[in-house]
Amino acid sequence: MAVWTCPECSRTYAYALEQCTWCRVPLVERDPPSATIVSLTEVSAPSVGHEDVPYWCALLRSEDGFRSIIKLDHAAVVGDTLQFGVKGAAELAVVGVLGTGTMGRSLSELLLGRGHRVVWCGRSAERLEAARVKLIDRLARVMDEEQIAAVQERLITDTGYASLSECDVVVEAVIEELEPKKAVLAQAETHMRSDAILATNTSGLSVDDLADALARPDNFGVLHFFNPATRMRLVETAIGSVTSDSTSEFLDVFARSLGKIPVRVAAKPAFVVNRALMPLINEAVRELEEGVAAAESIDEAVRLGLNHPMGPLALADLIGLDVVVDIMDNLAGRTGDDTYAPRPLLQSKVAEGHLGRKTGEGFYVYAPRPGV
Amino acid sequence: MESPYVLGVGKTRFGPTSKSLQMLAQEAILAALGDAGLGPDDIDAMIVGNFLGGPNEGQLHLNSVIAGLFPGLNIPSWRTEAACASGGVAIHQAVLSLSRYGTVLVVGAERMSDVVGMELTRNIGMAGDAILDQAAGLNFPANYALVAQAHMERYGTTTRDLELVSLKNHANANLNPKAHFFLKKVSQADIDGGQIVASPLRLFDCCPVSDGAAALVLSSKPRGKRCIPILGSAVSSDAISLAQRPTRTSFPAARDAARRAYAQSGLAPADVSLAEVHDCFTIAEIVAVEDVGLAAPGHATDLIRAGETAIDGRIPVNASGGLKAGGHAIGATGVGQLYELVTQLRGEAGERQVPGARVGLAHNVGGVGGTCSVHLLGGL
Repeated sequence: MAVWTCPECSRTYAYALEQCTWCRVPLVERDPPSATIVSLTEVSAPSVGHEDVPYWCALLRSEDGFRSIIKLDHAAVVGDTLQFGVKGAAELAVVGVLGTGTMGRSLSELLLGRGHRVVWCGRSAERLEAARVKLIDRLARVMDEEQIAAVQERLITDTGYASLSECDVVVEAVIEELEPKKAVLAQAETHMRSDAILATNTSGLSVDDLADALARPDNFGVLHFFNPATRMRLVETAIGSVTSDSTSEFLDVFARSLGKIPVRVAAKPAFVVNRALMPLINEAVRELEEGVAAAESIDEAVRLGLNHPMGPLALADLIGLDVVVDIMDNLAGRTGDDTYAPRPLLQSKVAEGHLGRKTGEGFYVYAPRPGV
Repeated sequence: MESPYVLGVGKTRFGPTSKSLQMLAQEAILAALGDAGLGPDDIDAMIVGNFLGGPNEGQLHLNSVIAGLFPGLNIPSWRTEAACASGGVAIHQAVLSLSRYGTVLVVGAERMSDVVGMELTRNIGMAGDAILDQAAGLNFPANYALVAQAHMERYGTTTRDLELVSLKNHANANLNPKAHFFLKKVSQADIDGGQIVASPLRLFDCCPVSDGAAALVLSSKPRGKRCIPILGSAVSSDAISLAQRPTRTSFPAARDAARRAYAQSGLAPADVSLAEVHDCFTIAEIVAVEDVGLAAPGHATDLIRAGETAIDGRIPVNASGGLKAGGHAIGATGVGQLYELVTQLRGEAGERQVPGARVGLAHNVGGVGGTCSVHLLGGL
């Protein structure tokens, strides 16, 4: 429960403001470590965002007299004291990001936008610089020049891994293949502090296989963000067989600190979302192969019938058909279940180099953006 | 009632920022109060102009949010919404409320950069009729494209005229440190490369959407040497859908608001020395110049082609850069227009100062002319 107080007149503000409306001096942020419940209500009426009822809304009062509202998922009584502890280790951690692909850039954008210092590592100096320019361009849509300058000061780019020594947590988002990922993870780890957490953004490789490359597999787990990480709220979190309890807990805490909703999943192939999505895409491709309907019609029917924002074929084009085929191959290989294997039409598209939006053609043909 | 006076003005930079709405509003409020030489305890009432707090940020009831910037203070306040004219209408309400309240604070504030792309276009489209226009996909570029088509057909207005408006307003914005595109140089080549948004309007015919806030302190009594009288304040309205109006080359509500403001002030268009008009699209500036009587119907292009609407021209229009290049922080836009006029009339506009500015006109439009406000400031 943060509050901002004026050092001169002692007025308290509930918002992060730059100054006191009366005294025009900078405010001091206070974060009371504990507060007492002074009033409480059990809420039985669900609303969007608060579907699970009952829950409890408590009016809290800190020792200094600051008041705020908190949501509890369990019953409490007036007079109970709640401890908030010091700010979590996840708050404003220095974060390393490995990889300059779409997800690496999106993650860096998310982290920088939320005030973190970021160490961004990529092997190619040109690709790293191109990704950096694109990231700054994207942030300039939501920040002024001063804020962009501050972001640049919080961003370190490195074509090696040495700068990772200052990171509290490092998220790997390089190509979705086992050996390259293992190599990058192992090299990154040698430069990291021994207490720092290393997470992979893998969408479905085996956590334990990846952990084999590491000296400290207990500090390693999965943070699977969704594209674009700046806007998608889900993070699938998963752990390996030797991940420590504190690392396990940190994954969820860190995801929440980024404004995300972590969902804990078992370290099974493709986790929850891709395991559900890939068969849907594959079946839509099969429908196309069998002439059940045209691509546009399949997508329209799924959008309207299942209330999905985008049809499966258009979504596959957006993800990249090569990525889709990799995930499906991996699912089929690791489960031994051939029904997961990519359909022939998907394979032939990839063989022809039609990888979706990024190449201008997949299940659809994309016109180049005008004026760009 | 005595003539209302603007005692103080404040404005943030318009443009993308990650500052919260509260921070932006406070910055503008403190600037306006400081400019007026007053403190928070001197405010008798507050009116907040805002359009999209609900759909963009899930935040309605903004007058109360802004009241949170004044902990312990309980004063009358309310929020005004009239789409892109929210700011101008808030000022008009403030002028009327001076019959009861001595000193009134007007705050316009908007955050636009949290929502992007199609969702933002949909939200802005809420200023159009849900049944008559939104259902047909008539978003705002499309609305103003129909206005441009009609103006071209009837008066021979050309895409070159639209480009001249864009080039002028971008050049003016380069002189205004608070403008969205203060640092962006826009050339003919940039304009040529802009994609079609809704034919005939291209990218550089459209204003950006901005984050920002602006504030004014109004009083029925003059205070200090820098206060500026409001000579006329008027609002008018019309059917929301363009299809329900007899004309597409003019906004009857703007003409009516202008007529009322001129009548109150005893002034005529010939008395106006500069105008800030609602150029959400380049065609809108052309229509505005005609609607407020600075040119006869179909003849705004004569002024524009002759350079007479430039800062050093006979009747400078949008010396601030307008919405087109100064930025459009929707609820703040109408309030920001008065910030500009007051700054100009005080002779404090720096590099973009209009020489000999005596009477300023502000023209603020909601939707495609469904609501319009016109204000006249200064003195002969």
